[in-house]
Formats: sequence, C-alpha cells, structure tokens
Amino acid sequence: MEITWEDGSKSTYTGEQLRWACPCAECRGEAGMQGRLARVQTLSPAELRVRDVTLVGQYALQIAFESGHATGIYTFSLLKRLMA
Amino acid sequence: MSAPTSQQVLDVLGHIKDPDLGRDVVSLGMIKELDVSAEGKVTFTFELTTPACPVRDRFKSQAEDAVGELPGVTGVEVRMTANVRPAFMRPKPSEILPGVKQTIAVASGKGGVGKSTVAVNLAAALRKSGASVGLLDADIYGPSVPVMTGSKVVPRQSNGRLLPIDAHGMKLMSFGHINPGDEPTIYRGPMVGKAIEAMMVQVDWGRLDYLVIDLPPGTGDASLTLAQAVPLTGVAIVCTPQDVATDIAVKALQMFRKLNVTPLGLIENMSWYVCPSCGHRHEIFSHGGAESAAKRLGVPFLGAIPLEESIREDADAGTPVVISRPESAGAKAFVEIASQVAARTSIQSFRQLPVINVH
Repeated sequence: MEITWEDGSKSTYTGEQLRWACPCAECRGEAGMQGRLARVQTLSPAELRVRDVTLVGQYALQIAFESGHATGIYTFSLLKRLMA
Repeated sequence: MSAPTSQQVLDVLGHIKDPDLGRDVVSLGMIKELDVSAEGKVTFTFELTTPACPVRDRFKSQAEDAVGELPGVTGVEVRMTANVRPAFMRPKPSEILPGVKQTIAVASGKGGVGKSTVAVNLAAALRKSGASVGLLDADIYGPSVPVMTGSKVVPRQSNGRLLPIDAHGMKLMSFGHINPGDEPTIYRGPMVGKAIEAMMVQVDWGRLDYLVIDLPPGTGDASLTLAQAVPLTGVAIVCTPQDVATDIAVKALQMFRKLNVTPLGLIENMSWYVCPSCGHRHEIFSHGGAESAAKRLGVPFLGAIPLEESIREDADAGTPVVISRPESAGAKAFVEIASQVAARTSIQSFRQLPVINVH
C-alpha cells in the first residue's frame, strides 16, 4: 500500500507490516488483557494480504485483510509513526 | 493607441491576490471568458470560490482599476460570479453525500450556547448570498431546527429515500421532522450514530454548495460518527464569552483537530446586549473570551453575535433573523460570520487529502 501525503511525499507499506501494527482492541488487547498479536508468533498469508482500504473521515484508514480482519482503524499519525 | 493583448490584461490582474488563499486570482483560475475588443473594451468573468466572498466588492474595483489603467483600454466590464469548489480536490465524489461540495459542522462542546441558532442563521446567510444550502440537524435528542425554521412537517418519500424539507430556500432534515411532536427519542449511543448516518445516506440531498451540520453538545457519538462518515470541510465552534463555555469549546475544537478536521474558527455568541430602555451595552456573559481562546489556539476568530431579543423571537416564530430583520445588528453579525466561514471553507478546497494506492 502506498500513501501520497498532503506535502507530496510518499510512504510504502507491506501487508505484513500493517497487519502486525493493527491497532484494534482484539489485536492490541484491552483492559489489562493481552492482545492476539502479543500471543501469536506467526500469521497465515491470508492474514497478511491487504484486500481493501477505506478512508475514515479524513483522519484514518480502515484496512481489510484477505482473512476478513478489518477492525483496525489506522490513524494517519500512526501510519506516519510506522515510517519513522 | 492599440488595444492591449489578453496576456497584458492577465498580467495586471495577476497582481490581485486572494487574501485568504494567498495566491493571485489568475493562477487560481478565477478569471474566465476574457475578451478584448479591437476598440479596447475589456470584458471578463471573475469567478469567486463562494458567493458569500467577503472581498467580492474589493476584487471588482481592484480588477476594474488595474485593467482600466492599461494603455489602450477604453472600457472595462467585469461580471462577478461564483462557483463553490468541492473540498479537497477530490478526484471522484465521495460515496456518502455525493452531490455536496462542502460540509460545514457547527459544534460547541457545551450545550445552550446557541449552536442551532448560529447554524440556522449561518445556513440562511449562505443561502441569501446565492449558494445552494442544506441544513442537517444532527441533534437527535434535542432537535431545534424544525421550530427555528418553521418547518414542522413530516418529510415525504421518493424511491425509498426521504426528501429534505424545503424552507426559506434551504433543504432541511432533522430528527424533529422524522419523529415530531412531544415524543422523545430515547436512544443509546450507537443508535445515535446510525440515525445520523441515515440522515446523510437515506436523504436525497441532491446538489448542494454547502451542507451545514448542526451538531449536538459533547465530544462523543454524534461528532465521531460524523467525522468518520464524511470528510468534513471544517468545523465552526460556537461559544459564549464566559470561561465555562470557552473551556469546553476548546475541548471540542481539540477533538476535531485529533480527527484531522480543520477548525474554521471560533464564533462568540451572546457577546453583548444593548438594553432597549436605557441604550446601555451590557456584557452579561463577559466579552472577548472566544477571541482570546482563538488566539491561544491559533485558529481564526470568526466574529461576535449580540444577545438580541429579536434573534430569539424570530427563531421561535420560525424565520431566521438574517431573513426577517436583515438590518438588525444580529443579522449583520451573522452575515459577516457566514462570509468568514465561506472564505475559510474555500481555502480547504485547495487542500489535498492523502491519496492511497493498493497494489
């Protein structure tokens, strides 16, 4: 996935990188519980392939993976941090 | 003396700068249908980015003067028009609200500061300037728009979609239209989000230059749904001058900033009161709070509106004061603020959102 930012600069992301960065409650954990990404060592290829990306308002992207996982809302600031 | 060339005319017009967009009017594409006759008569169209442009008259005289001073010019005719541009230079219209060029939210954080009054009059002022305008009342629990616009009717349906109510030349939709009378809407949070989404998706808004959205108080469900569902052009924040209101307004503004929605600026409502018997000016809720908050946050201050009985009276009677008493101080303040909002909105037309490509 490639993003062209407002200032014209570009960032490129792999599906694998995005999947492991998923910010959703299931993946990250909530209320003191460990999330799924902290518990598993590997993810299947279908989990790592991006199927669809939708703009959420103007502050984030909702990324859907081939596995059907689509609960992560990736804010632009998170996506910028991933590149840093 | 021979007539100037079109290029010479464009060269002098290129010295006119748009104060809000920070660029010259020629490179912004505002000069159209330029014609120079053999006798030296120059005619062209000056296309503004909003009919509510605050510098409309200044542009016209600047253009006439600049071209009139060119050697060989015997006459200048400037046609002023306006064409609202869609927000964010979108390559294709958004799926939600496809015919709407600009969406402007009116929020406050705190309740009771006059959001709906401001939203209704802002919409009415934009309409008066010549724009096509819709007003969506996103306050599900306390819808005020039907009363304030005298439009307490149930919307009709066509092809499975609701038709907005027509009042004062604007298109309106409120939960007060859908669920009229004394019946309260008793909803939990997620239902509020669904209701607001439905008012965007299931209502046939058609083509609009501006859709003004009157938000309920708070920094939760309603505002979040809206900021997630549509790329809002920007948000105007309303507050009264006292600390208790500006403090909450600041929270609302910061929430929208986190959602990457541009704050168009702060509006100070109930800013002063002129006593009809003694003529004295009273500052009941203090004065200048919004302006200093705006300065502190680095956002524009859009203007102040007086506390006037006529604003309330006309709202209860169903006609926005900018229509019923255009000469009143309140109406003039609203019109001035609407121009400022329109100008700030135009700036957003030239902003580009990140573009995403998946390979």
